[in-house]
Amino acid sequence: MAVFHRPGTLGEACALMAERGDAMVYGGGTAVQILEKQGVLFASDLVDISGIPGLANIEETSSGVRIGPMTTLRAVETSPLVRRVTPLAARVYGHVANPRVRNTASVGGNLAHGDYRLDPPTALLVLDATVELTSSGGTRTVPLREFFVDFQRTAVRPGEIITAVEIPRQDEAAGSWFAKLSSLSANDWPCASAAALVTGGRRFGRVARRIRLGLGAVAPTPVFTQVEVAADAGADEAVDAARQAAEPLIDPIPDVRGGVAFKRHLALVAVEEAVRLSWEERSDARGFFRDRRRRR
Amino acid sequence: MSATIEPTVNGVRRRLTVEDDDLLLDVLRQIGRTSVREGCGVGACGACTVLVSGRSVSSCLARAIRYDQAEITTADGLPEDDDVIEAFVEAGAMQCGYCIPGFVLMSHELLAENPQPSREEIADHLEGNICRCGTYPEILAAIESAARRRSQSGVPIGETT
Ligand SMILES: Cc1cc2nc3c(=O)[nH]c(=O)nc-3n(C[C@H](O)[C@H](O)[C@H](O)COP(=O)(O)OP(=O)(O)OC[C@H]3O[C@@H](n4cnc5c(N)ncnc54)[C@H](O)[C@@H]3O)c2cc1C
Ligand code: FES
Ligand code: FES
Repeated sequence: MAVFHRPGTLGEACALMAERGDAMVYGGGTAVQILEKQGVLFASDLVDISGIPGLANIEETSSGVRIGPMTTLRAVETSPLVRRVTPLAARVYGHVANPRVRNTASVGGNLAHGDYRLDPPTALLVLDATVELTSSGGTRTVPLREFFVDFQRTAVRPGEIITAVEIPRQDEAAGSWFAKLSSLSANDWPCASAAALVTGGRRFGRVARRIRLGLGAVAPTPVFTQVEVAADAGADEAVDAARQAAEPLIDPIPDVRGGVAFKRHLALVAVEEAVRLSWEERSDARGFFRDRRRRR
Repeated sequence: MSATIEPTVNGVRRRLTVEDDDLLLDVLRQIGRTSVREGCGVGACGACTVLVSGRSVSSCLARAIRYDQAEITTADGLPEDDDVIEAFVEAGAMQCGYCIPGFVLMSHELLAENPQPSREEIADHLEGNICRCGTYPEILAAIESAARRRSQSGVPIGETT
């Protein structure tokens, strides 16, 4: 059984992570506890960072928001600050699992978990978030777009702790949407998911619009792409361009939630839904924001 | 390693010796709080729900050692005349009853945050609670009726009893 440590400072936590052979951070524990139950937790030590003050704050910065690693997913979802500064992020955090898991699971643990089906990375890729990593050797910052390196592998090096996630302010005129399609129960992991953000473009100024896409569950890692379309393009053109951009990235892993062909199809359906609804949500498209209620 | 924790469970301060890896689920059951039940064991069914300072937690994924000084509510600690329980009884919202303590606590959390939830909002909040007897229509009706009665009797928002 792994030795459980409860450091009171970040310095102590970093020292434990550096000294111990196979130390793992213990965040909300929702993923670690399941690994333990399944008999596949191979850590020598667990370093619980919940007792370290200051790791669960959400702060507004000059460029957006900075979220501490121990902030619960539910705190992000319900934060008035996050809802205002980056509504797409708030919405996507609200789609993870169920309220009990979201009350416990942490922002840092969610990313470090590294699963290709996670919901939050889809939005954080689109929003160009960065991850701050701290170890006894110092601090470095990694763009989220470089964070997921391979199947179940992230940029977190041994000894490192995620100490913040920074999300830039979302353009107020941008439209955004998150589509999560499940093939088992409604609150199961997605079979395919897509977050989209449509920015730029004045209707008469003819500036191109940019569609950014983050896809979950459709390849061995969460994936990101973007494409430009003419400012006067219609929704159908935008959807076609987005589907074409997404297609080469789709590389599904077959499992109980569907085979390759089914998942490939569903991935494109998710892209279509996310892009179409983002397109309609642009504030200049109708002069108002669509109802932001959750849709399944 | 073992440690001593002092949570308050249903208003009573407890002094408990726990091992590092003891689950809150098992610790609560050992002290007689058997309305906390194990279903899936992986956070997906809600049978093991407890409230910690009013927030729902799956005790099957929670290490007890993290709940020193915590304010824990289990469904059997709710008062006899709890309005949500009364609404469940009146709506006949149960068959075997195994899942019901979890549904009752989730309903308390929801109504404290959102006193007049729509049917869709109720379903969203209960998305991770499973009833194998399929009592969902009655459960939805019970929560709607509890919300209605609270708004009529003027119970302040946030009060759990
Ligand atoms: C029933 C259920 C359904 C789920 N459904 C979904 C879903 O639909 N969508 C979805 O996106 N997710 C889903 N999840 C996964 C959930 O999002 C993760 O379990 C959770 O986010 C992990 O966060 P945690 O804080 O509990 O991590 P932990 O269990 O504490 O840790 C997970 C991993 O991250 C590491 N870690 C933790 N914190 C840090 C840190 N600060 N720095 C470095 N490493 C760290 C740990 O060492 C471990 O490797 C589901 C989980 C459950 C139980
Ligand atoms: S037993 Fe804990 S959620 Fe199912
Ligand atoms: S009443 Fe039997 S499981 Fe819900």
